[in-house]
Amino acid sequence: MLYRPKADTIRRRWQNNSHICFFTKPESNLCWVKCTKRIACNKQLHDLQHGQEGMLVWVLFLLCQGVAPALTQDLCQRDAPNGYKVRISLKTALGEDAYEWNQSEMFFFRATMAFAMRRHFQMETYNVDNIILCVQTSRVSFWFVVTSPDNATMLIPKADVEKAVRMARHRINNAFLLSDRTLEFLGIHPTLAAPVNPDTPPWLIVFGVVIGAVCAGIIALLVSSLLQKRRKEKGMTEDGQDEEDMQVKGVENGINLDGTYNRGFTDDDRFTKL
Amino acid sequence: MGKDAARAEWDNPMQFVLACVSYAVGLGNVWRFPYLCQMHGGGGFLIPYLLMLVLLGVPLFYMELAIGQKMRLGSIGAWRAISPYLGGVGLASVVTSMYLCLYYNVINAWSFWYLFHSFQSVLPWAECPVNSNLTGHVEECERATPTQYFFYRETLDISGSIEENGGIHMGQALCLLLAWMIVYLFIVKGVKSTGKVVYFTATFPYLVLIIYLIRGVTLHGAINGVKYMFTPKMEQLANPTTWINAATQIFFSLGLGFGSLIAFASYNQYNNNFEKQAIVVSMVNSSTSIFASIVTFSIYGFKATFNYESCLERVRLLLLNTFDLAEDTISLENVNHWIAELNRTHPEQFASLGGRLETCDLEAELDTAVEGTGLAFIVYSEAIKNMPVSQLWSVLYFIMLLLLGMGSMLGNVIAVITPLSDLKFISRYMSTKTLNGLVCLFCLLLGLGFTTRSGNYWFTMFNDYGATFSLLFIVLIEVITVCYIYGIKRFEKDVEDMLGHRLNWYWKIMLAGVSPILLITLFIFYIVNYIQGGTPTYQAWNKELGKSVVTEYPPYAQAFIGLLLASSVCCIPLTALYTYCKKRNLASGKRERTVSTVSA
Repeated sequence: MLYRPKADTIRRRWQNNSHICFFTKPESNLCWVKCTKRIACNKQLHDLQHGQEGMLVWVLFLLCQGVAPALTQDLCQRDAPNGYKVRISLKTALGEDAYEWNQSEMFFFRATMAFAMRRHFQMETYNVDNIILCVQTSRVSFWFVVTSPDNATMLIPKADVEKAVRMARHRINNAFLLSDRTLEFLGIHPTLAAPVNPDTPPWLIVFGVVIGAVCAGIIALLVSSLLQKRRKEKGMTEDGQDEEDMQVKGVENGINLDGTYNRGFTDDDRFTKL
Repeated sequence: MGKDAARAEWDNPMQFVLACVSYAVGLGNVWRFPYLCQMHGGGGFLIPYLLMLVLLGVPLFYMELAIGQKMRLGSIGAWRAISPYLGGVGLASVVTSMYLCLYYNVINAWSFWYLFHSFQSVLPWAECPVNSNLTGHVEECERATPTQYFFYRETLDISGSIEENGGIHMGQALCLLLAWMIVYLFIVKGVKSTGKVVYFTATFPYLVLIIYLIRGVTLHGAINGVKYMFTPKMEQLANPTTWINAATQIFFSLGLGFGSLIAFASYNQYNNNFEKQAIVVSMVNSSTSIFASIVTFSIYGFKATFNYESCLERVRLLLLNTFDLAEDTISLENVNHWIAELNRTHPEQFASLGGRLETCDLEAELDTAVEGTGLAFIVYSEAIKNMPVSQLWSVLYFIMLLLLGMGSMLGNVIAVITPLSDLKFISRYMSTKTLNGLVCLFCLLLGLGFTTRSGNYWFTMFNDYGATFSLLFIVLIEVITVCYIYGIKRFEKDVEDMLGHRLNWYWKIMLAGVSPILLITLFIFYIVNYIQGGTPTYQAWNKELGKSVVTEYPPYAQAFIGLLLASSVCCIPLTALYTYCKKRNLASGKRERTVSTVSA
């Protein structure tokens, strides 16, 4: 929950063992109050708004001036040992339909991550407050860390977070209408889709069809020519005289089967007959 | 005349023209001509190309058709009839055609492989496959590109060098079997079946090319490629290599010297007007080359623009992520402006980017000129995978490649079968169907060697050396034989007999003068180039680096290259020697007999 109290009503930074309130690193001169538990936050805010515990405004003002609260520095920072960097490319994924990345979306992200953690560790109840985001840029990239629901100062190790993210990756992507490529968790490589191995490779099927057709064509041609030859033979034996005449004609022509009679040589007596 | 009546014929002259077109318009028009255009100054290359067509291509084409139509025999019989001592020219043609048959159908096998793999929701060469523990992609694929990985690893399963042999790739073997079965189906009944098939194989590629032209020029960035190609760089004309390459391209593109044209023409009617047909087919072949290169360059332009914009996108993301700026601050247009800006404002952070910052250059992307199988199977598939509805375009493209390849294959196989079936001892014992089947089976079994793991290296060797040098030699001997040994006068008389009018001055000058000179120049150039080139080398795929490295051929491979060259070239002198010896024996035998009768 984020509240934006009026600057003059902020009295001090309030700290307690179980409920921590702190200021995020401000993008501008505004200070944001974040609480891990709603009830406490309400009480706190109420206290703050009604100035029950007074403190000098200028101390808070200094704190708001960009000195990141010490606690958030410990937990969520750039290159945090147990944190991951997330990069989102909305315009690449959605083009014209890209929604604006604002605080509501950030909240949604935290809720999705809490869901992913709950799904993986089924016994423990993670909440939105357990997901801490920081180092936001206009690229839309940020770092996040996950704190344990039992102890808010303890971070969940990187490996567990990775497992949770891997398991729920598909759901996380779909929640944001993004894909593995446009919602990147740097350091967690997406599992590639297993190749589909059909029983018969598809090319073999097409090959079978084509070779079957060609075989059929060859057999058809051979059979048809065989039938034609048989029909001709039957016709020939009926008038056998024609066959003999044809053979005689062949001999009479006296064609030299070793070559062909080339009329080009007839008028020329320069070249001797070979 | 009994023998002539028994010879098969084309149903009509159109079938013959389409057969020649189908044979001449092949894969070289699609993957060699655009490369040459790019290397030798774009639009300016058309000048030497068209000049060589007129001086070299059309006259030699005409000559081969004339010989085939006159002699009505395949290349062995035809050359023996022209000059018995030079019957070896025909034999050399058959040997060269046989080499071509062996390795050319492997390209068709690859086209089939890619075609069958296009029937999937995601094209297999679009993405790298994931590795066994699902953490990332296969390493080799990461280092190279997915299309290269698919070609070298999944299609060929290529080994590291020509020495490392491996087993046969079953998928390739099956596709090769299919390719040979289809060739057999097309030629099983001789020209009767071939004549019907060429209606389809000659015309359908044009349909696909037109569809691709429309798709190509409407692609984003295609205009960059077309502009790049057609911008003439006239200074390239001063380079003699440009002219040599133009002549070589015309020569090989028309398929001269293989004996296919002689074989096709031998099935013609005696009085067929082959003069007009020769000009038509040559023109069609060259225009197809130019047309195909427009398509190729629009696709090049698309691919280069796509890669350039991907590069810019990666740089943009890198800058956004490193400096944590909002997404809409840097757009693709002002990436370079921002690089300068960020370098000025945050120099240390900028320096930490180091080597990760790529330089994106559209010209450099367009300059990557590729030819041959690399263009057809790697560059084109990369461009196709980025098109919308890529499966459809992939299927269309590989069907086109198949038709072009099959059309040329028909010519190659007929060049081998026609002379064999003309030989008396074969035609007496075997029908055409059995002969065709045996030739196809023989080529299939030997061609399986190209489907092994090192098969691609042998393929490249055959492609580079099997038919280049020997063809030049064969055609040179052909021209000299026809013009000087047979005599241009006799040739003129033959043509007059067939066509009804004499050779005009253009044909006479080109055939007797210009073409032989050009051929001798080409021949000398090849020899000089070969000697100067040192040890022959090849590109071996290195799986650790993910790219090809230049490797020298081992000694036995070099010996094999020598054998390839020698086996076809030596046919000519050896046959001449054999004929000479036979005639001498015959002559001396006659003399002996006359002596004995006198003494008796």
